[in-house]
Amino acid sequence: MDQNMKRLLTAALGLVLLIVPLLLPLDGLSPAGRITFGLFLFAAVYWMFSPIPIYATSVLVILFQLALLSNASPLVEFFAFPYATADAPSADKFTGTLAHPILILFLGGFMLAAGAQKYHLEKNLVRVFLSPCKSPKLLLIGVLGVCALLSAFMSNTATTAMMFAVLIPVLGALELDDPLRISLALSVPIGANIGGIITPIGTPPNAVALGALAEQGIRVSFASWMAIGTPLAIVSLVFVTFILLKMFPPKAKRIELNMTGKFDRSTRGIMLYIVGGSTIVLWATESIHQIPSSVIAFLPIALLPALGIVGTNEIRGISWEVLWLVAGGISLGYSLKDSGLATWMIGLVNWTSLGDTGVIVGFLFLSILMANFLSHTVTTSLLVPIAISLGTSGVLAGPGSLAVVAIGIAIASSYGMSLPISTPPNAIAISSGAVETSQMAKVGAVMAVFGFIIITALAIFVWPLLLK
Amino acid sequence: MKSNHPHLAIICLEDEPAVLSAVVRDLAPFEDAFQIVPVESVTDARKVLTTLAEKHIPLALALCDHLLPGVSGTEFLVELNQSEATRAARKVLITAQAGLNDTVKAINEGNLNHYIAKPWLPEDLRAVVRDQLTSYLLVTKTNPLPYLSVLDAPRLLEAMQRNNLTTDE
Repeated sequence: MDQNMKRLLTAALGLVLLIVPLLLPLDGLSPAGRITFGLFLFAAVYWMFSPIPIYATSVLVILFQLALLSNASPLVEFFAFPYATADAPSADKFTGTLAHPILILFLGGFMLAAGAQKYHLEKNLVRVFLSPCKSPKLLLIGVLGVCALLSAFMSNTATTAMMFAVLIPVLGALELDDPLRISLALSVPIGANIGGIITPIGTPPNAVALGALAEQGIRVSFASWMAIGTPLAIVSLVFVTFILLKMFPPKAKRIELNMTGKFDRSTRGIMLYIVGGSTIVLWATESIHQIPSSVIAFLPIALLPALGIVGTNEIRGISWEVLWLVAGGISLGYSLKDSGLATWMIGLVNWTSLGDTGVIVGFLFLSILMANFLSHTVTTSLLVPIAISLGTSGVLAGPGSLAVVAIGIAIASSYGMSLPISTPPNAIAISSGAVETSQMAKVGAVMAVFGFIIITALAIFVWPLLLK
Repeated sequence: MKSNHPHLAIICLEDEPAVLSAVVRDLAPFEDAFQIVPVESVTDARKVLTTLAEKHIPLALALCDHLLPGVSGTEFLVELNQSEATRAARKVLITAQAGLNDTVKAINEGNLNHYIAKPWLPEDLRAVVRDQLTSYLLVTKTNPLPYLSVLDAPRLLEAMQRNNLTTDE
């Protein structure tokens, strides 16, 4: 089918689904719930098939909420919704998602990344990490490790782009049939994807989960997230090192990596290291000082421009559309609960027969499966609100379980990495020409199975202890 | 990544058939990712531009000889620079006979990007083409991923990191 035709059809399908729940006899579902149901179906189709960019869908969702569900809309009264205009959620609730504390936390991370990039901090870290790596094995471990470390704070995509810029001369110097080319090219996106789970700001799906939990009054500290993400990331990196060495045993004996450069010692460079270092330390020690991580994020947001470390160019270069994308997910999740849709949906299925464990296993499986084909953020945005609804309606026992399943979904989505379309780092790796889709798919499938097993085990046996 | 339907075009303008086929042969590494169109006169080149415009294929690079029967290569480059649709195309003269006046005109009015003196070495030509096409992608903010393996990948990737070109994770 022609591309334009497909776009038109999916666009039309989404709009039709927006209206369908209003027309069907859905017993016990309020008009607001029906509108939200339609909105959820609309968002699902638009996010999955993207007839328009996924961030555009997100802000469209917010617009629909403002127009159909908020107290600022004349339509709310017109349709005689069960609540009067005065009882409908305030419009600020929806517009405010664009400045949700979790997004402020992300903005802080973006500002740090922008500063680091401007002063070539990340490249120097790569140089320091990789220069001792003279053997193929060490280089592979070094690349996996440094990609994970950087992507814990920077976007996975930016990490991958930078790392390939460094590695392409190395790949070019290797013999064409050396399997090390394949393992190195795969280690970059895998390291970056796994690194995203280490901190709350590692990758946008984390923000979706944390945002939804915050709406339930559950605050997960930066350090608690790291206590969950770090061990899992380390185990995964060790596992993937073995897999890559086993599947693609390197032929080259020594690797020459010619990286030059030195750390920026200018006053501004040093101030950047101080602001960045203090921010990260304060994030990691939230349990001691009790200052929320989103408040601490304001340190880099305010100080880096004040000190002239980032300017208008860097501020304009920030991925604002990622923040919009996450805001749409949080906003949709809010209506799901507020409109009564969640409670109604849950009543349809006998969840208690599944039990907590069954629910967690099911969501983790769906998350990894969907994330192989969809954007990880979209996967999380669609699954977390449903999971949260289960929790609030009493199917999952206690706030601990709620956090376990929401965080589990976000982390599991990062293990969806078997196809070039799974996530932008994979697309970059395939474009490098050093690895083929079938090779990526094999390693990705192994990682998905590994991820599913280990995340399930941790989520059931270990995380409940960490998230009390 | 190989693409069966290249989305960007290269025009090679040269009146000597033997020289033209040498240019095209030297550009073989680019032919999977770019549509390479050899033409022998400016009249033919203009027709090609019309066809490309109809198919919505932007012109990324024009490699032109100067001395041609009828309209000169330099005049053609000036025309490219004056038209909205082709202004971003990288413009390269590949010639032995352009005098000072023509060269100055090509630079000032045609926005010439590079000058290759005949005879050329194939690897030099390829280096210039690779560099110019890389610049084209960067200037026009074209998604660089389909072209990474044939162009200057480190330069494209660094720009990608700087501009956060794709961030939907």
